[in-house]
Amino acid sequence: MRDAGFKHWDCITPFPVHGLDKAMGVKRSIVPRFSLAGGILGFCTGMSLIWWTGAVDYPLIVGGKPYFSPMFAFPVAYELTILFTAFATIGGMFFLNGLPKHYHPVLKYDQIKRGMDDLFFIVIESRDPRFHATNTRTLLEKAGGTQIQELEA
Amino acid sequence: MSAHTATVSAALPASSTASAAGRALTIGLVGIALTALGLFVSDSHGVAMSWLVGITFWTAIAIGMLMLILIHHIFDASWSVVLRRQYEHGLAAFKWLALLFLPLLIVSWLKPGFIWNWMDLNHELHGHGTVGTDVLYLKKASFLNPGMFTGMTVFFFLSWMWLAARLRKASFTQDADGSVGWTHVNRKTAAFGLPLGALTLTFAAIYWVKSLEYHWFSTMYGVWFFANCVRGALAVGVLIMLWLWARGDYKGILNNNHWHSIGQLSFAFTVFWAYVTFSQYFLIWNANIPEETFWYNLREINADGSPNQWKYVGIIGILFGHFVVPFLFLLSYKHKLNHGKMRFISIWILAVILLDICYNILPALKDVHGNALPLFNLNLLWTLTAVVGIGGVCVWAYLRSFPTTKLIPIRDPRIGECLTHHE
Repeated sequence: MRDAGFKHWDCITPFPVHGLDKAMGVKRSIVPRFSLAGGILGFCTGMSLIWWTGAVDYPLIVGGKPYFSPMFAFPVAYELTILFTAFATIGGMFFLNGLPKHYHPVLKYDQIKRGMDDLFFIVIESRDPRFHATNTRTLLEKAGGTQIQELEA
Repeated sequence: MSAHTATVSAALPASSTASAAGRALTIGLVGIALTALGLFVSDSHGVAMSWLVGITFWTAIAIGMLMLILIHHIFDASWSVVLRRQYEHGLAAFKWLALLFLPLLIVSWLKPGFIWNWMDLNHELHGHGTVGTDVLYLKKASFLNPGMFTGMTVFFFLSWMWLAARLRKASFTQDADGSVGWTHVNRKTAAFGLPLGALTLTFAAIYWVKSLEYHWFSTMYGVWFFANCVRGALAVGVLIMLWLWARGDYKGILNNNHWHSIGQLSFAFTVFWAYVTFSQYFLIWNANIPEETFWYNLREINADGSPNQWKYVGIIGILFGHFVVPFLFLLSYKHKLNHGKMRFISIWILAVILLDICYNILPALKDVHGNALPLFNLNLLWTLTAVVGIGGVCVWAYLRSFPTTKLIPIRDPRIGECLTHHE
């Protein structure tokens, strides 16, 4: 399927298959980009929060320290880095994988639950530019597929 | 000449460790001889401090290896089984490190106060009496005295050598008899070895390094030392993996996930080191009590308020070199899988650990005004020869142990899981 150039397709397997991502041509997730952006945003938020409250909006001398120093702003910035990174990672993951998804056309297939038990499925969506009702069926048959079904979205 | 020997060793991988070990020992002895020569060229006090830097650096790496093996056993880890064998070879260095520490002990008894000034009760403090009349010393005297120092140092090395011998024997014997009982023995060793290792490395850091300024206190010191130990051992682990990969031994054994895992651990301990080191600095900065701040002041300004070299060592070398650069570098997944990049960052980390140890030890050398002597003086040369000298002996000990066993612990119960390690 990967070599046939399909993009909108997926596998349903009863257990994690090692090397499946590579066989499907799935690249590493870009969630880390979201995490990094969240981390940088968190760090800057923490630093500017302490700077703005302590040195701009309400300058107050505490313990003979300067109005602002990255030293005491650091614990806050550090915590917000972690918090925002976690938010961005979780949020980015849900954004990219489209969960929670309450409906998918494969649910119309009465045997689909066996994909969690003892059957392996390949799903090819008709919105894929390379999709063609008969050719795709032939391709799946050639790949050794049985019980090939067309489902209505 | 060196190119010639390299070709020979590449052609004969099986027998090359013997000649490589010989070369390492030669380099080690030359380094030690050059450091000894330094005693006649420059101030012997400075050379002794350089030797302390060298011995602390390499002992830290050996302790890090010991702690990583113990952590491996206590967690029943699987991915690190193949690397554990190389660390077990690394532990062979402890007895030689103990031997090389001996000159410092002998000098301490022959000339008390020469290295650790509190050993000499008549040592003049800068502007307020002698050590013997100093209340801050007298309160600590039951802990800081030459007898305790010697006894504890002997105890540290005996503990490490004993733990090393137990771990090595169990692991090496398992290769032959395949008994799973050895894994259980190691797990028990880890259960009591971890607290023993944690306490001994903490006290070693306090006696050998922190007591150079015996007025100072920091509860983070042992943790700081531990973080450096483990980072050093991980960096050396990466270099060993690269070496065995280049030789061909590790081809087919390591996959991407092993490289990813050790990269992740290096990254985690980079953050851990930064957390601990920053906490120590931040708490002292925030409390602003003279008994504590003097230690950082000594590493920042001279008595007249002008900045000294250690200030820039702290900002550029410690803050950026030790944390920011490895942190950003190791964030990337691709960097962790790239052998060239991991080699670069591992050597980098070893260099900054050395700098960190210099930062902690060398400012104890002071001029007549009580200012710390700068990093860049002739003494740095003896520091480097000491590091190369002691390092040569450690590498020799590793290479001598290397051919005595199988490359990987083939009958470890977790070896199958290790070889098929996945994310």
